[in-house]
This record gives sequence, C-alpha cells and structure tokens, in this order.
Amino acid sequence: MARVVFHRSGEVFADDVADGSNLVVRAGIKRFPYPHLRYGCGMGKCGKCACLVVSGAMHLPEPNWKETKVLGERIGGGYRLACQLWISHDIELAQD
Amino acid sequence: MSELMTPDAFRTALENAIKGNSANKSPFSVAWAEGKLTRAHLARWAENHFHYVGPFAEYLAYVYARMPADYVEAKDFLLSNMYEEEIGGDRHTDLLIRFAEACGTTAQRVKDPDNMSPTTRCLQSWCYAVAMREDPIVAVAALVVGLESQVPSIYRRQTPTLRGRYGFTDEEVEFFDLHIVSDEIHGERGFQIVLEHATTPELQQRCLKICEIGAQMRLLYTTALYHDYVEADLPLRELDLAA
Repeated sequence: MARVVFHRSGEVFADDVADGSNLVVRAGIKRFPYPHLRYGCGMGKCGKCACLVVSGAMHLPEPNWKETKVLGERIGGGYRLACQLWISHDIELAQD
Repeated sequence: MSELMTPDAFRTALENAIKGNSANKSPFSVAWAEGKLTRAHLARWAENHFHYVGPFAEYLAYVYARMPADYVEAKDFLLSNMYEEEIGGDRHTDLLIRFAEACGTTAQRVKDPDNMSPTTRCLQSWCYAVAMREDPIVAVAALVVGLESQVPSIYRRQTPTLRGRYGFTDEEVEFFDLHIVSDEIHGERGFQIVLEHATTPELQQRCLKICEIGAQMRLLYTTALYHDYVEADLPLRELDLAA
C-alpha cells in the first residue's frame, strides 16, 4: 500500500491506495481521490490532472513523452500528470 | 440451483471466467509479444481491429438505452465510456488509424469492411447481438468485463515491444498507451455495475457464462488473425506453442 496525501483548494485529503494504483483510474471509478482530483481525458493530452509533487518524487519514473509534451517547462517546477503515474510509494500531491 | 455469491466471490469468479480464455494465450498475441510479427502482419491486425473496437460506443449505446432508468450510476458510467471512446480526447479509432498507417496500410483500407476477416465480422456481430438482446447487466458483463477489461493486461505486454522490437515511435503507438488507462477505468466500472446489479443467483450465473463466452470470442478472433495472416510466414513450431 502507498499513502497518498492530496492538497486542493486549501484542504488536505489522504488515503492508502494499492501498489500500482493510478489516481485517475481510481477517480474514474469514484474512489479516492474522487471527487477532489481534477482530471479530463485520461490519456495525457488535456493536462487537467497536472499535479505538483510536494514529496515522493524520487520514487517516480522519469516523465514520459506525453508529460514532456503537455507540461513543458512545468516539469522543472515539479509538475506531473496524474494519469501517467502508477503509484507504489508514499506521495504528496497538490493541485492548483 | 446455485447460491447467491458475495460480491468478492462473484468478482473472483468473473476474473477466473476470463482468465481461462485470455487472448494473451493466442498465437497472434504470443508472436506479437515476442517481436516476431512484421509490420504487414500488424497492418492486417489494425484493419481487423478497427471493425471490432470502432463500434464500441454503438454497442454501449444499445445497452445504455435498455438499462433501467433507475440504475442511474450504471447509465452514467456507460455514457462516460461512450464519451471517452469518441470525444473525451482524441477519438480512439483515429489513433488506431495512425498506428495502421505507420504499419504501411491506409485509412481507406482500415475503414473498408471488406478487409476484415469472417471471424472479425463474427466478433462484431456477436457484440451487436449481445448489446441489443441480452439483459443489460449481462451485456455489460460480456462487453465491458469479458472484453474491455482484458485490454490493459494485453497492451501492457505488447506496447513496450512495439517501441523496443518493432521500432515504432511514441506517437505511433499512442493508441495502446491510452487504452492502458482508459480501459482500466472502463473495466472497473463494468465490474462495479455487474457486482451491484447481478443480485440473483440466476443473473450471476448468466454473467459468468457470458463473460466466459466473451473471452472465448476474443481468443477466437485473435487466433483467427494468426491463421489468416501470419501462419504461412511463422509456423506454430517457431512460437514454441502446442497446436
């Protein structure tokens, strides 16, 4: 299990998720972080699920080609696309 | 007479019904995963696959229309699936055509129904028949749980091979990437609908049976692709598979 802490609009939400969970998949089936996570296409195109990785970035793989294309310079600022991440370690994320 | 299964036991039974006939076992899928297909073989796959997945929103639309009005969440899930297949982002079939073109065929050939095999036509017809005629919960078990939920595991095996062994670019194989996420959502929604609404032993058994048949249909389809387009170039013995 991995602990996910999610910040949005001044509130903090947290829950445990199974190893290998994708937060957009979970939200798509109405599980945490639903209804707090903002997301759209689920295919790394729209960028709506972009999150700032507050902590735990060291456990994530390098950004893939979709993240590079959609996020551009925001990657350097610590942003990732939730739809492209499969979570297996504790992580803290924030959405604007 | 069977007894009503708990949701956990029923889910396990559904998963087992699919596993025994997983399309991952077909010689076409094995050859694909081993990097032994040519781009021409993959082009034939795309020309067939278009006619199976292309109407997926239409299949679901028939189920949606027949789903009882008070199954609001189930109806919403189906509507979301349809929207995501068609206009949530890139249209999924457009990405399939992009892959097909990278394999050397054309959009015109992909869209032409004369280029699908009889077995693909059979799978497509079965999907329409289930969507139009079965109890809507049984139809969800067939189309979403039995067929769509298999996709992430299939493409997880096949996509790295497309990049690494076949040399496709990221953009060319985007069709496969997006299905790893979207079909995982769709498959899970399908499980939720079936687990919630198959509330009698009889309905549970019908869901299990059709799930098994759906998985058999997909296995039949992929196996036929091997016999129709690949076998002459790549005999079974070269795949280390029993005939």
